[in-house]
Amino acid sequence: MANYFNTLPLREQLNQLGQAEFMDSSEFADGVDALKGKKIVIIGAGAQGLNQGLNLRDSGLDISYALRKEAIEQKRDSWKNATENNFTVGTYEELIPSADLVINLTPDKQHTAVVNAVMPLMKQGAALSYSHGFNIVEEGMQIRKDITVIMVAPKCPGSEVRAEYLRGFGVPTLIAVHPENDPEGKGWAYAKAYCVGTGGHRAGVLKSSFVAEVKSDLMGEQTILCGLLQTGSILSFDKMIEKGIDPGYASKLVQYGVEVITEALKHGGVSGMMDRLSNPAKIKAFEVSEELKDIMRPLFQKHQDDIMSGEFSKTMMEDWANGDAKLLKWRAETGETAFEKTPAGDVKISEQEYFDNYLLMVAFIRAGVELAFETMVEAGIKPESAYYESLHETPLIANTIARKKLFEMNRVISDTAEYGCYLFDQACKPLLADFMKKVDTDLVGKNFNEGKDGAVDNIQLVQVNEILRNHPVEVVGVKLRKAMTAMKAIKTV
Amino acid sequence: MTNPVVHITNLNLHYAGQPVLRDLDWRIYPGENWVIGGKSGSGKSSLAKAIVKQEKVSGDIHLRFTAGLTLPPVAYYVANWYQFTNLEGDRNFYYQQRYNKHQQHDTLTVYADLIHFGQKHQLDFHDAEPILEALGFDNCRETQLIELSSGEHKKVQLVQALWLKPQILILDEPYTGLDRQSRRQLNVILDRLAAEGVSLILITNDNDIPASINRFAEIADGKINVVADIAAMAQDQERRPKPFPYFLQKAPTADSDTIAELRDVSVRYGEKTVLKNVSWRVRKGEKWLLQGPNGSGKSTLLSLLNGDHPQAYANEIWLFGRKRGSGESIWDIKEKIGIISPELHWYFDKHATVWHAIASGFYDSIGWFLNVKYEEKKKIEQLLDFFDLLEDKDKLLHTLPLGKQRLALLARTIVKNPPLLILDEPCQGLDRSQTTHFNAVVDELSAYGKTLIYVGHYESQLPSCLDRRLVLEKGEVILNERHTFLTT
Repeated sequence: MANYFNTLPLREQLNQLGQAEFMDSSEFADGVDALKGKKIVIIGAGAQGLNQGLNLRDSGLDISYALRKEAIEQKRDSWKNATENNFTVGTYEELIPSADLVINLTPDKQHTAVVNAVMPLMKQGAALSYSHGFNIVEEGMQIRKDITVIMVAPKCPGSEVRAEYLRGFGVPTLIAVHPENDPEGKGWAYAKAYCVGTGGHRAGVLKSSFVAEVKSDLMGEQTILCGLLQTGSILSFDKMIEKGIDPGYASKLVQYGVEVITEALKHGGVSGMMDRLSNPAKIKAFEVSEELKDIMRPLFQKHQDDIMSGEFSKTMMEDWANGDAKLLKWRAETGETAFEKTPAGDVKISEQEYFDNYLLMVAFIRAGVELAFETMVEAGIKPESAYYESLHETPLIANTIARKKLFEMNRVISDTAEYGCYLFDQACKPLLADFMKKVDTDLVGKNFNEGKDGAVDNIQLVQVNEILRNHPVEVVGVKLRKAMTAMKAIKTV
Repeated sequence: MTNPVVHITNLNLHYAGQPVLRDLDWRIYPGENWVIGGKSGSGKSSLAKAIVKQEKVSGDIHLRFTAGLTLPPVAYYVANWYQFTNLEGDRNFYYQQRYNKHQQHDTLTVYADLIHFGQKHQLDFHDAEPILEALGFDNCRETQLIELSSGEHKKVQLVQALWLKPQILILDEPYTGLDRQSRRQLNVILDRLAAEGVSLILITNDNDIPASINRFAEIADGKINVVADIAAMAQDQERRPKPFPYFLQKAPTADSDTIAELRDVSVRYGEKTVLKNVSWRVRKGEKWLLQGPNGSGKSTLLSLLNGDHPQAYANEIWLFGRKRGSGESIWDIKEKIGIISPELHWYFDKHATVWHAIASGFYDSIGWFLNVKYEEKKKIEQLLDFFDLLEDKDKLLHTLPLGKQRLALLARTIVKNPPLLILDEPCQGLDRSQTTHFNAVVDELSAYGKTLIYVGHYESQLPSCLDRRLVLEKGEVILNERHTFLTT
């Protein structure tokens, strides 16, 4: 199979990369009608599979689950998940031939095997849905020409997809139709109906393409979302230990700090996050993040270039073929870091203290979000797509770090994200070595404001605020966040 | 004279700029067991939290523990709600979560939670077993916390406290959601603890209290006011009758004579049977009382009617003339039902103001809605006025006294004038006059052609319109009758 993106002429590459339209709610007026009475079969009953299925059934659609024979015979968790919620469960052979829509919600790595098993069983004119386009775009999977291929990708973990639906809301969702596989022209109607069935239409829907989704998703996850959060966390922890900060305190500050800091990001964007700092601290964080952006820009660009050329997916798939040798090695190394092995101390850290004593992470996040966004947009991805794959998802990933540190983050994210995260981390740490030598505890571990009188230069503060608020990620962010009116605080600590 | 166990002088507490407790003085002597009552919002819980240092106050609180007793020298407070977290440490729950089955556990089991508590306080699990048994809670050991009903959560809290046997035990609304049997058992155990030397402080407006209670007080104007007994405590003012909003005087439209019908419905998980062969028909205009002990299946039954339970798809259930699982969405069902339950209240959106909470009733969402139309805004205003909530409309719902929160959620429940009202223990945590007020509203509402299902444990606290009753025990219907006991 050849990389699909690389087979396209340049104008078509640019055309598909540049698809991102924020949809008006009137586009969903038909509700789930296009899928009413159709047989919908979901493959995979993990967090996304089960929760999406529960939502779709509660929206009046006919849902059943196709599982592999072994999963049924051995009564694995996926089988229990589906049967205990009273869904019909059957093998591929039993359910796929009558399906009007097959929804593939298995992990990326299994897509080729799953699709190869399912496609011959699918009836003429049926539809196949993905939640991530890697298999189509990077692996170049060819789907039978009579089959309609769509994508519906909720931009939140499966448990949130269910929770928000039952609260009467939904999570932001990206939908797409594969231009090579829309023989009857019903792709968009199906994608929209499916999206309504999960509640996504209430929280903002982005009309995208398989190509734009893959190229932006890969970029976001390996740079700002996972890679930089990992590098920044480890470097911050090591610096505090080097400077004699109590290890328990350092561990807690790092583990929960990203979550508290990005909670501000979620509600008010980069400027909202920076506004949580005192004026002198904000100016300092601004300066530090400018320096970080200069240092890391070539690395971000390299990642984007390798994603665009297919180099990244090629080397990753080689590792898949090699029994995940590199992935497993890097995973083991992450498990051995001092941060991972030091439990969070039993100390109380107030919400504000996470900002005041962890200015370095604020700077890392501003630098990472803006760099990822800028690099994507320069590569032809639309600001809306770039926003979702950078700023929007950062708090979600930060939440996994707060749960069980980096190990948990790497366990929860997709296999492509985990591989890309390690790749970034390996390159980024040496890149920041000189920078980190200059960092002291005023940036991480102690209150930056201590011993300062809070005075700043008027003009400098105005300039800094202006630069922060006028960044394109802020401009598009204000528009998109408005559609997600009911964003809820994730309550921890 | 002996020294007091609790000695409070000059206690002051402000909340949102308003004084709650003012120069409060209070002494509790050995052998005294107190009930603290009084109006909701008077500062009872704040005082309790101050004693266990969970509330920042000015003034002096001195606790004197007796050395040599086997009872641990601590003051222990049982809050009115159980604040548990999921395994990842957050509390982002939704009220229907307990019905969605997922292999990956979200929360600890009751057993694991108790073991954890026991380790923290160095307790022997053997001592917890008789308490579990007495409260009829023995069969819930392997149940996850998220799967428990509100009455069962109360039991988890009580088991912990009774097992710990602290020298000073403060229970905030300990009877909330408990069935009659458990409530009697609780009082028996509390009397035993008092005899062993535990100083009890109960915050309640209830009449059925342990025999060992020998002192009574209420909080009025920020001070402790000692009174003779419960009856002497001030109640919230009787409600001034107001004209019922016009839009609620119209009978809602329902296109089917049978509102809900369950035919031989069973729900079970592995070994555990939650409902067994339940058949029940609710016709238009009927007013049902649904009763049964904690864990008898009431909440599950109601969740089947409200579209909240995935097992509805595996059973024969007819709602408003349509069979469940025939292509309807849960939003089609919820549109016709107004529901209030302790769980819905408990997990309600913490960012919602009173106005938002009521408005969300039009969309059956939890505190969230699309653009509210002009006529809808007018209805919200009328209800705010009717429930005396106008001046609270922009406040966050969860910051109001419990009684007002319940009224706001009742307003949310009726704002769309639904054909079917499901009121699941709506008066939990309300005092007598608030309950009377609440039930008077329900009676008035019911007069206009609504169908009602009401869950309540105590017959003295029910609306008078109820004319039928269904009683569950261990998931089975043991009584289905026209009921007349209210008039006798």
